[in-house]
Amino acid sequence: MPMTDNSAGKTGAAPEGARARDRLALLTADNASVPLPAGVQAITAILLAVLLIALPWLGLGYRFLSIAITTLYTAIALYGLGLQFGQAGIMSVGHSALMGVGAYASAILSVQLGLGFWTSLPFAMALSAIVGGVIGPPTLRVGGQHYIIITFCFCALFVIVLTNGGTFTGSATGLDVGSVTPLPGINFDKLSNNYYLVLAALFLALAATYLIGNSRYGRKLRAIRENEQLARSVGINVDLHKLGVLMVSGLFAGLAGVLQLYYLRHISPTLFGAFPSLYLALMIMLGGARYLYGPLIGAVVVNFLPEVLNLDPVDSRIAYGVCLLLVILLLPGGVGAGIKNIYCAIAGESETQKQSGGSNGRA
Amino acid sequence: MRQLGLGLTMAAAGLVMALQTARADEELPIGVIAAQSGSFVSAGNTIVGAANLAAQQINDAGGIKVGDKTYKIKLYIRDNRTDVNVSIAAARELVNDIGVKAIWGTETHDFSVSMAKITGPAKVLQFSGNSSLGAVLDDKAIADDGWLHYTFQSEPQEWQRSGSTAKGVLSLLTPQLKSPPKHSVVFVGNDATGQYLSSHYVKALEAEGQKVDLVQYPPDTTDFSPLLTRIKGMKPDIVHFWYNGDSTLTAFPQALKLGVAPSYFLFGVDPGIYQERSLKADVPVTLSCVPVCWGSSPFPEVKQYFDKYFGLGAAKGPQSSVSLLYYDYFFWYAKALEKVGTIDDPDAVVAELLKSDYKGVVSPVPLVFNKHHQVTFATEVCMVEPNTSDQFKCAVEQPPGAPPPGDNGG
Repeated sequence: MPMTDNSAGKTGAAPEGARARDRLALLTADNASVPLPAGVQAITAILLAVLLIALPWLGLGYRFLSIAITTLYTAIALYGLGLQFGQAGIMSVGHSALMGVGAYASAILSVQLGLGFWTSLPFAMALSAIVGGVIGPPTLRVGGQHYIIITFCFCALFVIVLTNGGTFTGSATGLDVGSVTPLPGINFDKLSNNYYLVLAALFLALAATYLIGNSRYGRKLRAIRENEQLARSVGINVDLHKLGVLMVSGLFAGLAGVLQLYYLRHISPTLFGAFPSLYLALMIMLGGARYLYGPLIGAVVVNFLPEVLNLDPVDSRIAYGVCLLLVILLLPGGVGAGIKNIYCAIAGESETQKQSGGSNGRA
Repeated sequence: MRQLGLGLTMAAAGLVMALQTARADEELPIGVIAAQSGSFVSAGNTIVGAANLAAQQINDAGGIKVGDKTYKIKLYIRDNRTDVNVSIAAARELVNDIGVKAIWGTETHDFSVSMAKITGPAKVLQFSGNSSLGAVLDDKAIADDGWLHYTFQSEPQEWQRSGSTAKGVLSLLTPQLKSPPKHSVVFVGNDATGQYLSSHYVKALEAEGQKVDLVQYPPDTTDFSPLLTRIKGMKPDIVHFWYNGDSTLTAFPQALKLGVAPSYFLFGVDPGIYQERSLKADVPVTLSCVPVCWGSSPFPEVKQYFDKYFGLGAAKGPQSSVSLLYYDYFFWYAKALEKVGTIDDPDAVVAELLKSDYKGVVSPVPLVFNKHHQVTFATEVCMVEPNTSDQFKCAVEQPPGAPPPGDNGG
């Protein structure tokens, strides 16, 4: 009997252990390809939209709202980086320089030609996209860490040019602009209106990311990310698509840069240097580049963590480092993946699969 | 019954007194935005230290009597973490959530400019030390409807400070060198403040007959030896470490090791910190302070000020003297409020500040704001005897009457 009992015990423990291992694997897996039910996606989107729209009405104060604006325009730039890195697999650590191109283009158009926010915005976004495309060709020749180093060099070079650009770029002192040109009945000097402006841009970025991610184009980008040679062999124009996604990414960065400029109403080269770029890379890795809400989550974590925990810059960097290590070890797909995995663990993967519609939770 | 009556009477009297005290001690909310962490912490600490001391002294002296009310200063100190976004968020909070009447800070040009775009429309006075504000404080900006109408620059105009510093440095070093110095190298951080300040200082040195080379280093540099070696090759008579005290304290020992020049000038390094760090050089070294030096000043009121400043727990930093760029202005602002008779009329306070003067620790001559909201005062320059850390010879240099040739003053 004891033998049998022991045996039974062993037999019972093995599936239990296996189940635990499965559960852990499920929680820590990169489930970007596991689709979420369409209903869950819709509810998540509606809840998030309601929360973001209601934020100024929650009485959280101007400080909170100010940091929320910073978070949102950072998230817009991250959506560009998310497409480039999460979909096409091209990482950059010079992305804030592309934001700087947009911001400086808009500021220079304002100072030199008197163009306001709305008129300079398309030019600034277009220029960022073009610059994104111009620094793109190296990625056709080199990949991985080599391209990352090139983007870092671009960022450093950009700051040097701005710092020594004389009155045209305002040198290290930078440039000043006025307020966002008001729309009928809407004055953007009011902080909540400024928030809604940036929020509207974020919704556009989210929608564009979702549409690209679920389009043929998105699938081609993911094919390139997974196996460039194979993608080429099946007839995908890899070079064209790589340049294309870098330009789209630049477009997002340009938009974020102009929003940043008109929020601060003063810019200087230090805003677009190596540190801000590294922070963008950190945010995208923390949040999860392959997930629709990953960039937003990354921006929220990095912008609000020092506020919530009252961390000074040194403590913040330590906290970010620890978070990044934890994410790499436990959540390779980022916090976005972790949230999705928790859902999958609760709902059960099979049920998730069964209920799923055509689209999924990734971008 | 009689005891109960007495008790009630005493309780009522106590309540009345408490209410009177509460009425007498109304609160004057003042904001301070400064780096208490991050790379600008040593500059930011001076703002907080000065504000704490000034507020305590004003409150201990009974507060500010405005009309029939007496106000005690309530400081709202916010750490900007050396981050412009946090500075902006803090300014929004102080202006819109708390409703401060004035803000002191910040330590950085970019941050101060972005903050002024919040304080200006809200009609909140802003006292910022940055002399680089001179580049934007023009007629249009300070007009009644201008975006800097409520902003005051508590540092002197840069051409004035550069002029007095250049003159002081050369007059102290010339007798120490074998021949009169002819060639100067200005070594400066390549950021907004560094570019602005050095553009004036180079002109001031040239006006004193110097041939000047400008060498810029990227902000956050820690190994200066390649650039210092290049400077050594230029064979300068004086190397002027300009602007950033923290960087200078890193670069200067490297320069001594390399034997870069026969004499040095360290801007933004107080004699007090030179002594604290036991720095020693076998060549003459000059230091300058804005506006008067911590650690060597012959003026008793200055020594008294620093004793109280550090007594309150302020950190000993390379530029502790900078705290004086913020301290005196609390008293001046209080004086203006008393004169205007209300704390709720910022336009009247601005007008009063522009027509009044104030004699504080910062200057033996009363301070006056010019029409561009800038003040004028002298600079103290000190020389350290070679091979000592604590033997200083100091002189106060008055600013020149006009900008040097090629300097438009802005």
